[in-house]
Amino acid sequence: MSQALSNRPGLDFSLTPHDIKRRRVNQLALRIIQIAAIIAIVPLIAIVFVIASKGLPHLNLSFLVNGPLERPTGIVNAIQGSLVMTFVAIVAAAPVGIAGGIYLNEYASRNVARVGELLIDVMLGIPSILAGLFIYFAIVPILGHSGWAGASALTVLMIPVVMRTTQEVLRLVPAGLREASLALGVPQWKTTVFVTCRTAISGIMTGVVLAISRGLGETAPLLLTSQSSNDTAINLGQPMNAMTVVIYQNAGSSDPQVVATAWTTALVLFALALILNVAVRFKTVNNRIF
Amino acid sequence: MESKTTSSSARAITNPSSGAVMNNDRKSVIAMQLTDVEAMYGSFRAVNKVSLEIQARSVTSFIGPSGCGKTTLLRTLNRMHETLPGATVKGSIEVNGVNLYGASIDPVRVRRSIGMVFQKPNPFPAMSIAQNVASGLRLSGMKANRQVAEIVEESLRKSALWDEVKDKLNEPGISLSGGQQQRLCIARAIAVEPEIVLMDEPCSALDPLATLKIEELISELKTRYTIVIVTHNMQQAARVSDTTAFFNMGADRGGFLVETGPTTKIFTNPTNKLTEDYIAGRFG
Repeated sequence: MSQALSNRPGLDFSLTPHDIKRRRVNQLALRIIQIAAIIAIVPLIAIVFVIASKGLPHLNLSFLVNGPLERPTGIVNAIQGSLVMTFVAIVAAAPVGIAGGIYLNEYASRNVARVGELLIDVMLGIPSILAGLFIYFAIVPILGHSGWAGASALTVLMIPVVMRTTQEVLRLVPAGLREASLALGVPQWKTTVFVTCRTAISGIMTGVVLAISRGLGETAPLLLTSQSSNDTAINLGQPMNAMTVVIYQNAGSSDPQVVATAWTTALVLFALALILNVAVRFKTVNNRIF
Repeated sequence: MESKTTSSSARAITNPSSGAVMNNDRKSVIAMQLTDVEAMYGSFRAVNKVSLEIQARSVTSFIGPSGCGKTTLLRTLNRMHETLPGATVKGSIEVNGVNLYGASIDPVRVRRSIGMVFQKPNPFPAMSIAQNVASGLRLSGMKANRQVAEIVEESLRKSALWDEVKDKLNEPGISLSGGQQQRLCIARAIAVEPEIVLMDEPCSALDPLATLKIEELISELKTRYTIVIVTHNMQQAARVSDTTAFFNMGADRGGFLVETGPTTKIFTNPTNKLTEDYIAGRFG
């Protein structure tokens, strides 16, 4: 019986040259994509390493709590400026972006939604310096170079991030949940707020954090709007410092002490962004609902 | 099968406590009167001129091959059909002598009185078991005379789920098994005390044991509620329903009502040849 079966070509499992070649190609392709993956993370590791090695030696408490004119110098005004302008910007951008995303996904007709999506994608792709330029012409003539102007530029950049994320996560909420709620006699707006948005809340918050990260990381629009300042008072009506601007202004100096300030500021900024992202990732994973 | 006047059906529907009286003449009370109901998706007519009486405190099943419009018709009964883009309804559906499609009728109000259970169990993922049951009460802003916790327990008991979940009311609704989730959805639907409960293939995503439990539950629920169930499963229709309506798809791909009658008659001695062929499994 086994003799007879082994004679059938379909049951011959020994390797043919074709099989061997296929295995080699397979191995090669696997190596290539592995190397690509490694290349992709090398810059990240390098950045972390360089920032840490150049920034850590000068990092101390006085660097974080002193102003630029004090001795030893510090970047407290830049930290304050970055946080305050980002905070003001997200307070303005989050409600607009969330409400707009809800409108596009839950209420807009198909055509309006399609046009809206296209416009947001265009806004997402706008180089950030253009947002700064827009505020430079629209707000700076009225309010001057100020924290308000800087926050406005950041708001312009944050709204599409929040709006797009909100719309995307609302789209993931199963239609059956909205139907279940409507069929209970729940009005549409309550269905939207207490069922649809509640189901998608962790995704919406992720969008808000993405926008905050973006705000903390912007340089170009702030150069045109909030400029920089040595003043340590928190005053949105005056020019304001930001960590990214400090890095930009100091990194090219011929004075190694000034360059060190840029590196240490970079470390502080990086740590802040990292903490924010990790905290939200952790929270989001715990509340995962999809 | 003689129908009484609308005022008598009105009294019957709005007074759930009269169950004992109801049982004597259950067959004679009409919960819903459909007249020339048509359901459209844009210009496509999915349901053609259906006229039908739905008996109170009994189970009516809609059967028929796929695409015959039975689910669409079910969704017109509580004005859920129109929530889909481009979907419209013609004709009238009278409950308690009032046309649900009258100009002054708010669909939200209709859905509070006519609940729905869907094909796929759909508990709210962000809510616990108890919150799911209470969600209709809380979100529709209905003034409950009793404590919400009391209503939650009662609804879970009515849906035969209480004993399985009483120790974990605060766990997420989606942590339950598929069959339990569907009973949770039934509990959620009856917590707002509807008069009529619509079920759209409630067992099609469930295993045979879970299906059996839901069927037993349906038989219990019909003493309090009017139930309309869409099913692909003819044995299920035969087991649970008192009245069966058989639908088929016409040449224009629109669904129409072939015949309706007591379930025993439809399954043993149907009037229409189409019904007989479908029941015998010759098509569909």
